[in-house]
Amino acid sequence: MQGIPSIQLRGVDKDYRRDEFTIPVLVGLDLTVPEGEFLALMGPSGSGKTTLLNLIAGLDRATSGEVLVHGQDLGLLSESEITRWRADNVGFIFQTYNLIPVLTAFENVELPLLLTKLSKRTRRQNVATALKIVGLEGREHHYPRQLSGGQEQRVAIARAIVTDPYLLVADEPTGDLDRGTATEILELLEQLNREFQKTIVMVTHDPLAAERASRILHLDKGRLVDDILQGARVSAASAS
Amino acid sequence: MIPLKYNVRNLRVRWKTTLMTVLGTGLVVWSSCILFGLVEGLEHSLKVSGDPLDLIILRKGSSSETTGGFITATADEILNLSGIARDASGQALAAKELLNIPIATRTDGSTTNIIIRGVQPASRGLRPDFKIVAGRDFELGKGECIVSRSLSRRFRGAEIGGLLYFGEKEQYRVVGLFTAGGSAAESEVWCDLKDLEHNTGRDGSVSCVQLRAASSPDYNRLQQTLNDDPRFKLAAIPESVYFESQSRSSLFLKAAGTMIAILLTLGAMFSAANTMFAAVSARTREIGTMRAIGFSQFDILISFMGESLILCLMGGALGLLATIPLNALTYETSNLSNFASVSVSFRFGPLVAGVAIAMTLAMGLFGGMFPALRAVRLDVISALREL
Ligand SMILES: Nc1ncnc2c1ncn2[C@@H]1O[C@H](COP(=O)(O)OP(=O)(O)O)[C@@H](O)[C@H]1O
Ligand SMILES: [Mg+2]
Repeated sequence: MQGIPSIQLRGVDKDYRRDEFTIPVLVGLDLTVPEGEFLALMGPSGSGKTTLLNLIAGLDRATSGEVLVHGQDLGLLSESEITRWRADNVGFIFQTYNLIPVLTAFENVELPLLLTKLSKRTRRQNVATALKIVGLEGREHHYPRQLSGGQEQRVAIARAIVTDPYLLVADEPTGDLDRGTATEILELLEQLNREFQKTIVMVTHDPLAAERASRILHLDKGRLVDDILQGARVSAASAS
Repeated sequence: MIPLKYNVRNLRVRWKTTLMTVLGTGLVVWSSCILFGLVEGLEHSLKVSGDPLDLIILRKGSSSETTGGFITATADEILNLSGIARDASGQALAAKELLNIPIATRTDGSTTNIIIRGVQPASRGLRPDFKIVAGRDFELGKGECIVSRSLSRRFRGAEIGGLLYFGEKEQYRVVGLFTAGGSAAESEVWCDLKDLEHNTGRDGSVSCVQLRAASSPDYNRLQQTLNDDPRFKLAAIPESVYFESQSRSSLFLKAAGTMIAILLTLGAMFSAANTMFAAVSARTREIGTMRAIGFSQFDILISFMGESLILCLMGGALGLLATIPLNALTYETSNLSNFASVSVSFRFGPLVAGVAIAMTLAMGLFGGMFPALRAVRLDVISALREL
């Protein structure tokens, strides 16, 4: 499966317009992510990592250029079509977990399934499976505030995978976690990539987190500055 | 669809603001219900005068029982006409009645006009649901009277055993309390016609004759005879029409009530909107998250409108429930045509229910609309960046 282009960006520009100023955030970006890749995006604050992730996930639209995900040109979809597309194809993992505080772990994970036509029974099975994958059996009825940060992020990951989406996007998923917990979460993402062939695009500040990925890309002022394969990067690091 | 429990639990989590809003909207619904309950009671008392075959006979040109009557001899001729209904015991359902409107003292010491009606035995059968509810009925020619239950609470000497004193010549011993199905009689004191004639020196005249026709052809014939026959030349008015002409005060109350209800609803709308705006801004990132996951703008709209409706429905239900103890409530107003005291009971009916439902929906929908639209228009990306 590796090698087939899954995400393709061609000549993508993204500007933000504030009053009469136009701020270029992404400039002439070309990017190809093969299916089943675990890609890490690094770069200084404000370099455009989140913006790029949002374009790939269909949350935001490019000012110019093409964004193709799984063969679908996202620029051609209407607002409601792209909402539907996200529900079917993308799982979101956030730095701050973004669980709904008034819903239990089970109900949080079930939420995306309410957009499908699945029966209550099937939904329950899928939620149980997702919670099992992230190692949270027995916590179904806990509310987010009754869980640790690591556990909350696991619930969020379960919510992201419960619809079996094609792509996972994670924006600094370990940014709020301690080292040990961060490692567990990264191992979980690795497992999802390895065992379930999820294509993952992860933004991170943390070089140790990025090392888990199969490829690391660096953004600087809206441009991709290098394109180092994981193996090459590691040997370069050990050489210096 | 975003599950309803999401909204219900959010309302519970911020229970203090929820409670305040529910109490506020509840109070508004409640006060409007009281108002319209009294309007409804007033309309009821003017309307439920029983049978569609009832006629009230006044002097021609007179619009009210209290403005001029006619002579007893004519009244007696009416009682002898054929086509008058009879009750179970065979007594003709027709009665001469005489009104006096003296000044009475309320329990708080203030004074107002009160209707004393001198009646004949048949008068009772001509009122819907006439019942002695305490004590006994008066005996003829003994200077006794009976008082409507709602009136007896509000006037000095109007309790059983009390003396209604309107001067040396006119005084009545209260021997019983009555109800009359919420009709206009519930604002009156009843005594023997002969006693009233004697006390007021008005023997030889009556204020009106009330009667019930035996059938609808009889009704038409009686009405025609009484109106046109040179022996009578009176005004035989269907009772329902008579009371409708008295209902201007109800119309006024209704108009004022509607104004007040609209203003109160507007106020409560702002309060609901305020609560919902706070809810939307506190949950900006949640909204962004749900949009990212794939919930549509329509889902968000429905969810927040729903939350606002639930909030106001709780208030509306509270307001309605709070009217239950009011079913015993009676208030006093003046009949605008003769300025006699009229007592009106709170009445829960379709008007009250309709007002409560309309107000609740208006508050919930219009109060929730702008906050929900704000939630819908949130930019997903900025919402997700929110801390
Ligand atoms: N809605 C917006 N309006 C204007 N500028 C924005 C907006 N969102 C992001 N930016 C700008 O775009 C740049 C890149 O932001 P972002 O993609 O969040 O960077 P990163 O995730 O790498 O820290 C920043 O300079 C930021 O200020
Ligand atoms: Mg960022």
